[in-house]
Amino acid sequence: MTMSFRESQQLHKVCTIYENAVKIDTTNEELHSHLFMSYVRVGDFRSQQRAAMAIYKFAPKNPYYFWAVMSIVLQAKETEDTTKRNILLTLAQRMIDNFISENRMEAEQEARLYIMILELQEKWEDIIKFIESPLYGQLIPGSISQACIPYLKKLGRWKKVNILCKELLYDNLDRWDYYMPYFDSVFHLMKENSNEENIDDTAEKCHEFICQLVESMSSGRTLRGPYLARLELWKRLSVEGDPTALLGSALALCVQYLRVFASKPCAVPDLKVYLAMIPQEEREANCRDFLTCLGFDENSEPETMDDIQRHISCLTAWRLTAPRPGTTDALQLAATLRRHYLRSLEKNMIKYSTTEFCSADSYAILAAHHYFYAATEQKSSKPILEALCLLELVLLYSPANYHVKLLLVQLYHLLGNALAADSIYRRLELKHIQLVSLGWLHTARADAACVPTRALQLLADLRAFHTHHAKDQSIEHMTYAYKFGTFEKVVELRAWAARLEACALCAVSARRRDLLALLAAPAPPAPPAPLHAAHTDNRDLNIIVNWEPPELQDPDLRSRTFDQDMAYLRLTDALLSSVTLCTELAENKPIEEKMQHYEQLRTCVDTFSEAMEKCTEKYCVYEKITISGPFPSRIIGFVSSPVPYRELYSITLRMIGELSMNNTDKVHELCDQVVAIILISSKLIVQEIRYGAEDNGWSMRDRLESLSNYLQSIGVLTYLLGVCYEMITPTNTKKSKKKANRSVDQMQTIKLIDNINVTLQQAIASLEELMDLWPDYDFSVDLEEELTRMNINPTAPSPVENKLKLGLDKIIEDIQNILKRKTAYLKGLILNTNT
Amino acid sequence: MTTLRPFTCEDMLRFNNVNLDPLTETYGLSFYTQYLAHWPEYFQVVESPSGEIMGYIMGKAEGHGENWHGHVTALTVSPDYRRLGLAATLMNLLEEVSEKKKAYLVDLFVRVSNKVAINMYKNLGYIVYRTVLEYYSGDPDEDAYDMRKACSRDINKQSVIPLSHPVRTEDVD
Repeated sequence: MTMSFRESQQLHKVCTIYENAVKIDTTNEELHSHLFMSYVRVGDFRSQQRAAMAIYKFAPKNPYYFWAVMSIVLQAKETEDTTKRNILLTLAQRMIDNFISENRMEAEQEARLYIMILELQEKWEDIIKFIESPLYGQLIPGSISQACIPYLKKLGRWKKVNILCKELLYDNLDRWDYYMPYFDSVFHLMKENSNEENIDDTAEKCHEFICQLVESMSSGRTLRGPYLARLELWKRLSVEGDPTALLGSALALCVQYLRVFASKPCAVPDLKVYLAMIPQEEREANCRDFLTCLGFDENSEPETMDDIQRHISCLTAWRLTAPRPGTTDALQLAATLRRHYLRSLEKNMIKYSTTEFCSADSYAILAAHHYFYAATEQKSSKPILEALCLLELVLLYSPANYHVKLLLVQLYHLLGNALAADSIYRRLELKHIQLVSLGWLHTARADAACVPTRALQLLADLRAFHTHHAKDQSIEHMTYAYKFGTFEKVVELRAWAARLEACALCAVSARRRDLLALLAAPAPPAPPAPLHAAHTDNRDLNIIVNWEPPELQDPDLRSRTFDQDMAYLRLTDALLSSVTLCTELAENKPIEEKMQHYEQLRTCVDTFSEAMEKCTEKYCVYEKITISGPFPSRIIGFVSSPVPYRELYSITLRMIGELSMNNTDKVHELCDQVVAIILISSKLIVQEIRYGAEDNGWSMRDRLESLSNYLQSIGVLTYLLGVCYEMITPTNTKKSKKKANRSVDQMQTIKLIDNINVTLQQAIASLEELMDLWPDYDFSVDLEEELTRMNINPTAPSPVENKLKLGLDKIIEDIQNILKRKTAYLKGLILNTNT
Repeated sequence: MTTLRPFTCEDMLRFNNVNLDPLTETYGLSFYTQYLAHWPEYFQVVESPSGEIMGYIMGKAEGHGENWHGHVTALTVSPDYRRLGLAATLMNLLEEVSEKKKAYLVDLFVRVSNKVAINMYKNLGYIVYRTVLEYYSGDPDEDAYDMRKACSRDINKQSVIPLSHPVRTEDVD
């Protein structure tokens, strides 16, 4: 029974069951534990505390005692009343102090809980005393020095931090988490002017220490730590001064780093952060130093795998520091890089396994970057087609390379072909939490790309994960933490459950799914769940490799696109809520209940309308596209469209509201307005998706997005017309064989609704004509020639042209089928009413 | 150059550059949160200076008596950060934790076809203890090597005397 209550989200009933059970069997440890866990699931910390102490009374075991302590800590964290918080934390601390004095603390997590309580009270000295005590050493493995460092920092004891970090670094040259507090201490001590012998309190001493670390790496592996530490020192010193006199130029240090580590794929990712600290002018003027520091240039032809990796490291560092090339230079460089990849292929140097990439693949990825630059300059799809063909070739020989797969998905979407993108997306085999973190890459885009069937599947997968795994299981995970006594994870798991619950992507996707279903798989939508006060951004936006120089990076991309997505969420929420209220109003209900829904509908429509107005002002600037990030948010296209969606939806929804209340005069007036706005919209969508002389491939994505917004309105309006007919032909009339006696007003209403129906059918017919003329991609690439010239016969032909063509054909076909079904449905509505 | 720190829930949003590798499985949420809730000390991450997750290890301690052992559930390093000794760093950590817990040995399962991984574990002192038939399900199923390394508590190194015959998956505790 408790399982069924848990499945049906009636968690409070589980509490009641166990409360009753323990009244009957007062010393049953298992039942009491279940009671405790039932309170954990509903977040009732006070009841948790009480339940835990109740068990402890008859079963005095440590876990139950610490369950009570943890419950008190959670009450303290939750309250905003400072006095109450302090009292609770003092109580929690005292409970553990007593245990310690009685030598009863047994487990690592009990010690960690104690430290958590002291942290919440900012008792840093007490924490350090505890860490240095024998008890801590018995219970918690690892370095005492390392454990003390965060608290010494809080106390500003920088000399001690300095000494401890140096000791740790002598034995662990590669630990970034030791360098960071070391640098923090140096920079604080520099301000104190202490000048003690063993303390590094000047930039010079710090540099000397790092040099000692470099020299101590005599034989064996050269570690990146000390080299990166020197770069970090330069970066920190450059904030308020010029480190050149002490350390030399940043450029020289970066080039030196590259010389030493270029054979490792991580060299340039490590360096990327520090390249930005070289002043832009100096960086661009000397960018070729990176390319040539190991004797390479852009035309070098390495003969070994290690040299290929070094060449690629030098090329990517060069491109990260060079100014963005114009179209001609970009295309030339892309061709050169492509030739390098093809040469590697020709000479059988493409060696991969199921677990490793081939270094040479990166020639193609860097080439794709330059094709992308040329494409965005020229607004042309041809360079993108070249990139797609090259990357598909790479994937043939390097099927494990997910960087290539991600770029292919990105670039197919850039040309508006979600089905072609889908062919690669499936090969990524994303699962579970990846559906959330990488949902922005494909799922969110499929919805706007006129592939309703596939988009519905993807959105359904995401919803299933969010509902079942994220919500249900997250609550259960908190009980595991108590079960295993892992107190440090209780707070973390709680926060994680809350974060997933409020996931922005999942909220948008749930609403998009229901709206899309009105077009492709109509069913009355359920009212959406309430919006959270603050939704969470769970996107992984760093996954696609990006070798664009620092000035092309967009530091606000995440926050800006998130704000736009939130605005779009609120719009779609208001729209969907309005549609579901219309469904409620069509049901045969008492007038008082209907009145409530009518008022709610009016509010919803007003909210939608006002939000559209605000968004139209705010989101009118078309944004540039990056090779690795989300495309401009859907909201921009939606609110900037010449099609008057605000009026189209608002007027129709208002009309339905008035219809439900039998406000005949208003209904008749609004019906005329609906007809007028459908006619205007029908003309304007043709203008928006006009076919011109420009590159069809380049404009395909924008056109399909515009079309998807319009198709949404077709789906919504068709559904709403069905609702209208439900209202004007109540069930008892349909069942009766006699025609109901209708008043003049009712006849007029039916006539006007029929008129809307016919107008909508005309709009659909006009759209069908547009679809018949939808232009193809212009496919012309020169990779084939290059392959022939180099006598390379790939093991399979290039799939790009086929994928684009077949994908587009399927998109058009599916839309045409949907439109036919809509027309048949609309015709049927008139037929049913008049028979 | 790495930061070595415990895995947190939020790392699940950032581990794609590791998990997109075809041989790295992305499990359901409960898998990760169970390990976080039960064996957090065994669930550690190596992170680059730029904040990218380079790799992680998941493990546990189980068994009774002389079979009390540390187990490597998952060890994975992003393809972009291979050949830096990170797997060895993570395995060292797991072995230290197992020693602290007074385990007799550390063991792990690896696909018989994964030559790179098998070699790496051998270099870290692991031996092939036994073959487990059809341990990995797939099309077709694949055998696993059960590889082991003795801890200091196993004075006579009994736990690493290889078996002469393969075993079935259902016979593995």
